[in-house]
Amino acid sequence: MSDAYSIYVAEFANVPNYPLSGLVYGAHNQGTVRLPYCYVVIKGQGFVAMVDVGYNHKEYGAVLAEMYGARDWRSPREVLAEIGLAPEDVTHAFLTHAHFDHMGNIEDFPNATFYIQERELSKWIWAMSLERRFKWIMGGIDPADIMRCVELTRSGRLVCLDGDRENVLPGIDLHAAPDTHTWCSMWVHLRNDLAANSRNSWVFAGDLVYRKENLAPEYIPIGFAMGSQFNLVMTSDALVKAVDGDTTRVIAIHEDRLKDMFPSRANERGVRVTELARADGEPSRVY
Amino acid sequence: MISDKTVAYIAAVHPAFEDLKQATAQLAGLLVLRQRDPQLRRSAEEAYARAMDTLNVRVPTEAKPHHAHLLKAAAQLNSALHTQHDPLPFLKAADADLRAASRILPGFPMVDFQNACCHHTHV
Repeated sequence: MSDAYSIYVAEFANVPNYPLSGLVYGAHNQGTVRLPYCYVVIKGQGFVAMVDVGYNHKEYGAVLAEMYGARDWRSPREVLAEIGLAPEDVTHAFLTHAHFDHMGNIEDFPNATFYIQERELSKWIWAMSLERRFKWIMGGIDPADIMRCVELTRSGRLVCLDGDRENVLPGIDLHAAPDTHTWCSMWVHLRNDLAANSRNSWVFAGDLVYRKENLAPEYIPIGFAMGSQFNLVMTSDALVKAVDGDTTRVIAIHEDRLKDMFPSRANERGVRVTELARADGEPSRVY
Repeated sequence: MISDKTVAYIAAVHPAFEDLKQATAQLAGLLVLRQRDPQLRRSAEEAYARAMDTLNVRVPTEAKPHHAHLLKAAAQLNSALHTQHDPLPFLKAADADLRAASRILPGFPMVDFQNACCHHTHV
């Protein structure tokens, strides 16, 4: 099977002991799991795209380490070097939602154009008007990210989408998932044969899916929904249908077992790269 | 060790910090969305006014640098609300002062991690 894009999942931090109940709805008293923080890197057709860009360690590293035990944060420059890239090479970034650990490092990618659902931003901004007792709604949002979005908008580097968009890059579609994990999360469908009716599809789920237990043997939503669990379940079905039922091709970036499902390696500093696909002529980054 | 006076100060000005943060982010949000939303703007103005009232407190010596940053943030925000030109530089300055304040005393996070999805009770 010929691949149009090379695809990697790159880990930039982790939490060693995370309660499973936060990841799989209703999984109470079932212990903890290792929670990696990752982004997806897609290279091919003359582009380098990322799905999410991680968080800014300068601002939050100490707090996250103290509150959650987050550790081993590595810069995009160090992480991307493992796949022969630099942050300046990134041309497109698809932000699945506005939480700080997904869009909190915009400034490290000076040449990228960013894509996000407009409703994701507009509803957060509206929510700020609510009285203090609604503050739970604002969890995980950094005002500075909104400030950075102003500058991106002015430089023509922020595209606010109103729903789905097909072929944002050849073979790459963006899909809105309103009222799910957040106001309007977004998932990415990559057709790696570039065919309209692809037989070689991948889905990058953002935080719509945390672990494979969310998808099989039946749909069990994640443990955190700003919107509705019903919408999460129905979105799970859309994700699975997009990959012809092969749930291993729905990529959850907090799933620690990806490394057991696909070729993977970690360097001596713990930077892990998992290789999902390799475009023609591209060397492996894990062997 | 934080004195009782400073603890009282933290409790008193915390709402002002939240109001300033809210107003700054809302005005920036309007710039992102390129919207003229009178309701959102009014909400930002009201948050600013509330903050100014709340900042009028007794300030213990060890909290003076913190309070100074909040006052500077409020002044920048006031400029952002009334300028005829680009408000973004004022908003960035206000954000920088709020960040500086958040590093001086505990209890003033710029991001509510407690309610974030990566918190241990839910990712």
